[in-house]
Amino acid sequence: MLSFSFIKKEVDQVDTATVTIQFVTKVGEVEMVPMKSYTNSSFEDFAVSKFKYYVSNFQMNGTGFTRAKGDTYFLIDEDDARTKKIEIKIEPGNYRAIRFLLGVDSLRNVSGAQTGALDPLHGMFWTWNTGYIMAKLEGHSSASRRPFNMFEYHIGGFSGINNTLKWINLDLTQPVSLKRNDHLHIKIGVNLLEWFAGPADISIEEKSSITSPGANAKRIADNYADMFTLVEAKPNEP
Amino acid sequence: MKKTKNTISILLLITSAFGLMADSCKKKDASANNPTLETLSVPEGFPAMAYDFTQNPLTKEGFELGRKLFYDGRLSRDGNFPCASCHQQFAAFSSFDHSFSHGFDDGFTTRNAPGLFNLAWQKEFHLDGGINHLDVQPLAPLTAPNEMAETIENIIRKLKADPDYPRMFRSAFGNDEINSQRLLRALSQFMVSVVSSQSKYDLVKKGESSFTPYEERGYTLFKAKCASCHTEPLFTDLSYRNIGLPGIPNLLDAGRMRISNDPADSMKFKVPSLRNVVLTQPYMHDGRFASIEACLQHYTSGVMDGPTVDPLVKNRIALNRSEIVDLVAFLRTLTDTVMTKNPRFADPESKPIFNPDPEQHD
Repeated sequence: MLSFSFIKKEVDQVDTATVTIQFVTKVGEVEMVPMKSYTNSSFEDFAVSKFKYYVSNFQMNGTGFTRAKGDTYFLIDEDDARTKKIEIKIEPGNYRAIRFLLGVDSLRNVSGAQTGALDPLHGMFWTWNTGYIMAKLEGHSSASRRPFNMFEYHIGGFSGINNTLKWINLDLTQPVSLKRNDHLHIKIGVNLLEWFAGPADISIEEKSSITSPGANAKRIADNYADMFTLVEAKPNEP
Repeated sequence: MKKTKNTISILLLITSAFGLMADSCKKKDASANNPTLETLSVPEGFPAMAYDFTQNPLTKEGFELGRKLFYDGRLSRDGNFPCASCHQQFAAFSSFDHSFSHGFDDGFTTRNAPGLFNLAWQKEFHLDGGINHLDVQPLAPLTAPNEMAETIENIIRKLKADPDYPRMFRSAFGNDEINSQRLLRALSQFMVSVVSSQSKYDLVKKGESSFTPYEERGYTLFKAKCASCHTEPLFTDLSYRNIGLPGIPNLLDAGRMRISNDPADSMKFKVPSLRNVVLTQPYMHDGRFASIEACLQHYTSGVMDGPTVDPLVKNRIALNRSEIVDLVAFLRTLTDTVMTKNPRFADPESKPIFNPDPEQHD
């Protein structure tokens, strides 16, 4: 059985290249430390206790869009370092950008019980109003009037005017040519200041909890659509 | 390079052959090679089903697993609240005689439990339509703190530790894995199988029975005054409507608006099926009316107008006393005791010695 899995891996790699993506949570330029206090765009302190989000539907962009092989749904959990490094397989080619959906596409929101990263037991699924929580940020701020100065943002909604799904397009620092068995390492920064900052700034004092789909969730989603930046992309390094 | 490739494919062939052999041995061992496919036929005159069986093929083993789960209290936190505690077969799988159902830690639900039948024809679930797929509906009552109050992780842990479930999951889905998707799909297989299409009304439609004069007059009245919302043959058009019920203290329920955020949906609730209506008392989303007569009285004289009240009821519906008698006589023909007494849908682990018949009390 050992030899079987070894060979299977070899065969899989024959016609694909591998892209490893490391997500690094930041506040501005510095790496975010959970429970440490930072200041948002409304000059309010905030400390993060929970940060989870879905990334899915990975594609690489060369002359056109090439979808990554298989189902690419990942739940990134700040609390679990293993989830912050993901791997996708892509057909060999010349690429200059990576593209993914922040959230879970509408089809999977209407297709019943899912497994893996989309299993509802991960606490990212609304049971009373079907749909995935696309991204979740919880913590504490002296600006919050709630018990323990909590703030809680559970952002979702996959249809209509308050759709929170966001396509994230990130240009690589320079175009890469991936041959089979090549390995591209990408590091993506996720800047939490953008969660609060414009198009429409969110003040914790004004809105310390958003836990259902609607206009407020859409506001945050419009903000956090800008939180991803490409830090580096290095081809063919182990 | 070419040589390596060949070696790889030969090795692959050999290993997969071994793999297959190992697999078939295992399967024989479990005597659960293939679940037995079943088909749910669409009753005469019914539309096509909405449930997608390609994702969750109906099988004898899946149905039996779902049935056992439906009646198993261990799906709730303290063991006292199986699905069947609020969805009783003799009451067409509604909560008999309870405006709100009981849940964990003396909790109460906030809405009246609807009857469960003909779910394969529905695309949205709950009285506000908040659930968009039958498979994910059970997640709401399973995890709600005032209902079954359990976590999915705990349920799966309990099922894995049970002497019977691993075998039943293997029979239904091919291997021992117990996950939330299989749990939910098995429950769906049981629920979609509960079809109500053998009431007296259905027999009359097929020419196998006939209405009494009361029932006949009631049917004529029904078609003229009720059927635009309670549309045959499901006896609901599955829409959401506000029928002008006055607000009650301590229960602010915006209905469909809670899901859509649209003020135009304020106080709208799903039109319930009138099949088995005499068994599903009390009535309305909050169970405020104890009898069908009280419901009809609401339409004749109780409707309060408001911005979202349905145009079809806002001017109230004229019915005199004898018409109400006729209408109730017709509504009684919608009771399907073939379904409510079908042993296939009963608790697989108990044989009831007394099966209360709510019709006798009505």
